Amino acid sequence: MTSGSQQPKRRGVALDLRGVRRSYGGAEVLRGVDLSVNAGELLAIVGQSGTGKSVLLRQIIGLERPDAGRITVGGLELPRYLAIPPEEKPFRIAMVFQNAALLASLTVAENVGLRLREHRRHRPDEIEAIIHRVLADVELEGTEAKLPSELSGGMRKRVAIARALAVDPELILYDEPTADLDPILTQQIGELIGRIRTNRGSTQIIVTHNLPLARAIADRIAVLDQGRIVECSTPAELAASRQPLTREFLRAAALGV
Amino acid sequence: MAVEAIGRVPRRPGPIGRLGAGLLDVLQVLGEAASLFTAAVRASAFVPVDRQRVVVQMVRVGTDTLSIGALLSVFVGMVLVVQAADQLREVNESVLGPIVGLAMTKELGPVMMAFLLAGRAGSAMAAELGSMTVYDEINALRTMDIDPVRFLVMPRFVAATLALPLLILYSDFIGVWGGALVVAIDPAIKLTTNEYFARMLEWVHFSDVVIGLVKGLMFGMIASVVPCTFGLRTRGGTEGIATATTSAVVWSFILILVFDFLIVRGSFAVN
Repeated sequence: MTSGSQQPKRRGVALDLRGVRRSYGGAEVLRGVDLSVNAGELLAIVGQSGTGKSVLLRQIIGLERPDAGRITVGGLELPRYLAIPPEEKPFRIAMVFQNAALLASLTVAENVGLRLREHRRHRPDEIEAIIHRVLADVELEGTEAKLPSELSGGMRKRVAIARALAVDPELILYDEPTADLDPILTQQIGELIGRIRTNRGSTQIIVTHNLPLARAIADRIAVLDQGRIVECSTPAELAASRQPLTREFLRAAALGV
Repeated sequence: MAVEAIGRVPRRPGPIGRLGAGLLDVLQVLGEAASLFTAAVRASAFVPVDRQRVVVQMVRVGTDTLSIGALLSVFVGMVLVVQAADQLREVNESVLGPIVGLAMTKELGPVMMAFLLAGRAGSAMAAELGSMTVYDEINALRTMDIDPVRFLVMPRFVAATLALPLLILYSDFIGVWGGALVVAIDPAIKLTTNEYFARMLEWVHFSDVVIGLVKGLMFGMIASVVPCTFGLRTRGGTEGIATATTSAVVWSFILILVFDFLIVRGSFAVN
């Protein structure tokens, strides 16, 4: 990893969504999402509960297929990208789940190195070195032998981020990375995500309820309302927004809610 | 998540609607189980590479079932002799050996051990995979380009399929010796253990043991694929995990009995 003073490598990939729709049992959750994310950009998606933020991430990572619309990652149509064997993929995408989703039966080191070991592209000593390095990046040295159940919620989130970083991804998706965390841990996670942008230049998309966090770290903030992006602007532009939902969010954030 | 928030409130269906929905559920479970079975068989090509995970699962199956399996088998063997001796006292006690031997190798050993495997190891598989599904661990594997079938299902499938025939042999052996113990110590039985074993060896053929082992292979597949199917289709938090675990055991028992009948019927048809 490069030091914070160096220029970002901007090795991230661009993401483009056009008219993405997704329904469940007749209820339309995503109603035509259009969104472009630049390479190396940090985009936050905010919105009320139940507006489809997590659903949107699941379409982008390929866990679900949209009913309609097109998703392009790094110039490749998503289905084409997903069909490429892991060892031949031109770039990597990683996701940090809301509850960290660490494998309970594996230690921290095994969790972090899981993808590397399974894809067998690295020697065991290289994997060890990567695990050590990414755990240092998230300030969790010395936890290698611990099980997820022995860690706090904030530590589990950081292990999940380390697991994502282990494959040096070009695109990282975060689903509510600060949910259930206290303000100090929230700030730490925010700083960590900011450092990843500075040092690695990966494209990052964060789904969050936490508008102050989004304003502090994101290049742009997209507001999702009833399955559509109703606004996508820089934090400064967002502060002057006249969009009703954005104003609501800003008022709630000002009250510390 | 949004789905729960926006999901429609279902209308309460009538009796025919409920029957139809139940039938569709059954077909869906069977379809998913068949599909997972196919995927697990295909993933078995990776056993040489993933042998460590298979061994870990075999050890788990063994530790889950060996002690209780021994207890169950010894008592079943003993009860068989006591019950049969009471009926045969006036007729011919020399058939005690064949009765215990044939019952254990052809029927009781396979079915008992399969139930035990499904109840102990199978329920653990359903609960573990159910928990992993609910807490997004399975999805995390998918996002890491790791096939959950190869990583989680295949080792359990191969371990159960290989372990169950071995457990059946173990159960046959202990059950037969349980019967011998009663023959040896019960003063009401006028049969020596030598006669018990001699008559058993006359009547129990290698093919009888093989039928038990074939059942073991089949039941091992059922007792792993069915729990894994229910584990992977778990929805709705801890309650969902509990439901999946119970359903996995019940379905495994039913399918084991159905396939037991089919194998027995098939073997008689061949004979």
